[in-house]
Order: sequence, then C-alpha cells, then structure tokens
Amino acid sequence: MANAEVDALDFEDDDLMDEDGTADVDASSSPRAPQPKLKSAITGGAPKKTKGRGFREEADSERHSRLADRNFESLGTDGGPGPQRSIEGWIILVTGVHEEAQEDDLQNVFGEYGEIRNLHLNLDRRTGFVKWLELSKYEVTSVQKIFGISDSEGYALIEYENFEEAQNAITAMNGGELLTQTLTVDWAFSNGPSTGPFKRKNMRFVSDCYFLQSANLLALDMGLSYIKERCPVNYIERPGRTHRSRSPRRRY
Amino acid sequence: MAGEEDGEFYLRYYVGHKGKFGHEFLEFEFRPDGKLRYANNSNYKNDTMIRKEVFLTPAVLRECRRIISESEEDDNNWPEPDRVGRQELEIVMGNEHISFTTSKIGSLVDVQSSKDPEGLRIFYYLVQDLKCFVFSLISLHFKIKPI
Repeated sequence: MANAEVDALDFEDDDLMDEDGTADVDASSSPRAPQPKLKSAITGGAPKKTKGRGFREEADSERHSRLADRNFESLGTDGGPGPQRSIEGWIILVTGVHEEAQEDDLQNVFGEYGEIRNLHLNLDRRTGFVKWLELSKYEVTSVQKIFGISDSEGYALIEYENFEEAQNAITAMNGGELLTQTLTVDWAFSNGPSTGPFKRKNMRFVSDCYFLQSANLLALDMGLSYIKERCPVNYIERPGRTHRSRSPRRRY
Repeated sequence: MAGEEDGEFYLRYYVGHKGKFGHEFLEFEFRPDGKLRYANNSNYKNDTMIRKEVFLTPAVLRECRRIISESEEDDNNWPEPDRVGRQELEIVMGNEHISFTTSKIGSLVDVQSSKDPEGLRIFYYLVQDLKCFVFSLISLHFKIKPI
C-alpha cells in the first residue's frame, strides 16, 4: 500500500497527550519537514486500509485552508441539544423509500400530519446501476419488473411549518410502511454534534489536520504516528487520551 | 468497501478548476460529529464564496453511509486531474480510508472512453447521488422559498 514511500513524521504521542488537549498542532511550528505523502495515520491494532491516488500525491497546499476556515454560516440555535429548526420550518428525513414511490404517495401519507411546505424525493441511481452490472447486460428495469425486484431505494426530506407537525409525523410513521417497504423517519438537522459512540471532548480542528477522539478504538492502545505538517488528506485519526500506551510503536 | 454501522465516518468531496473566474469549486464535508460543511466559490461577475454548515442527525449520517456503501473502486486507472479541473473524494468508513483523485467527468462519454469505464461509471453516479443529497440538505435548511 505504498507505505515505504511515506515520509511520516513520528512524534512521541506523550508530547501531545500530556498537554491538556490545548496545544495547537501548528503547521508552521515544524518548518523543517517537507510536505509528506500521507498515509492513513492510524497505526496499531486496527490500521486503516488505504486506497487511492490521494495518498500518493504531493499535497495541494490550498486544499486544507478551504474547509479549515472558521467563517461558515449557520442558523442560530435556541440553545440545548435536539433537533434544529431550518430557515422556515422543521425538516424530517424519511429513509427506505421504495424506488417507485412518487411525490403523491408521500404527500398522501405525510400530508396527514400537517401541511407539507417542501418535499424533496431523491432516488438512488447508483445502487440500481450496480445491480445492473451484477445481473447481466439486460436492461435493469425490465428485469426488475419481471422478477418484482426492488433493489434501490431512496430518501425524502419533508418540511413542516411547525415542530409538532413534524414530531407527529416522526412518531406515527417511523417503522411504518410505504408500498410494502419499511420507512424510518427522524429529524434531519440538529443543534449539536451527533457523536453516537464517540466522545466529542478531544475533537478540534488544528490548522489543516483533523483529529477525532473515538471511544471505540480500543485497538489504538499503542503508539500513534501522526503528522504535524499539512497533509494531502484532511482526515487524520489519533487515539484518545484514555488509551495511552508506552509500548513501542509499530509502523505501517 | 463494507458498510459498517460502527466506526468512524468521514466524507469529503471536491470538484473545481482554476481559470478566468478564479478558483471555482464546490466542496462539502460530512464530519464524524455530524457537521456538514458546504462551500461553493466563484469570482464570476465578482461573486464571492458561499459557506454553510449545519449539524446533521445520526439518521442523516446513516443515509449517507448507505449511499456510499457497496462500492469497490480504485482510482488507479482513472484519468489524472488536468487543466479542465479535478475531483477529489475522500472517505473514512470502518477501517478503510480512501482518497480518490481524478479529472472532471463531463458526461458518460468521458466515462466510456476511459480505461476503467465500469469503476468510473459507479463513481460518476455516486457523485451525482452525493451532490443531490447535499444540495437538498443545504437548500432546504438555508434557502427561503420565493413567494
């Protein structure tokens, strides 16, 4: 996987771990190293398989300033976690929508909970195509109709004017059925991070590199080599502070 | 790549070129904490950059994973970025981290005449699905309907 070509800078992870999560890893603080060709920075029990030209290219220096900028507009929140109101209403996400569903079908079902202000029904083109490659050279839709196969699904985004209407739609239709397929219905936008199993605590954006604390990655019990320089990929993983290890690092 | 329910998820897509109207590009990023960042830039007629961000619920991230799962390409035989432009797709999912780079794809004709038509075609449709998803999310959340 081209590991031999990689010029990763190794630092004692203790250096960063000991600082209480406040040290900024600044690209300008290590001027000596050239822009490395990055490999996926996870080492240890669960190395990431890497794929693609992006790991072999020279870094594009502008690449990181684009998304690292702080000035991204967002709608204000009224504080507290939970769903966030959009510009003119409340938006829910419906998934598992049958590929032959039309807007009317959704209107009929979801219109019951309130007036629908906006509806986007997007069907998945790619999975339909992948199945085409697998089946044969026949035209996919005719084969599907013969065998009654539905292999692609879609999602819909529906906007209601107020919170109660959207909540009622979610409560009533989550797990419900449309055209024989089970739907899941939930809020689309949130006030704060949806970290799931991950803790947000150590997550910060450091110049162009992006660190994630993941409570899941118990395998990262060993040392980690990470990159202080600008990296050709934006995403870098590092272990959380709770999983430090003094055992010698394995390099991949 | 196998779709994994647990494990990190990160996705970044970029398409752009540099030309008469500056660095014109579209870029969006799904972060593991659920934040979606969207940027669109052009200097055409002195236009300026649009940057939006919003937190998505886990349901939306799951749908994004579903959109990209079950694809097994590699960009080895894809055209290199060129003067016309470049595309970048970076995904971290489960224990895989991919970073693809290729030129812009104008239409299926470009796909057919490439060295890996089938892989590139999947990429082409995947990018369409992703853009569609992001444009829907961003426009619904931020755009005011005309009267």
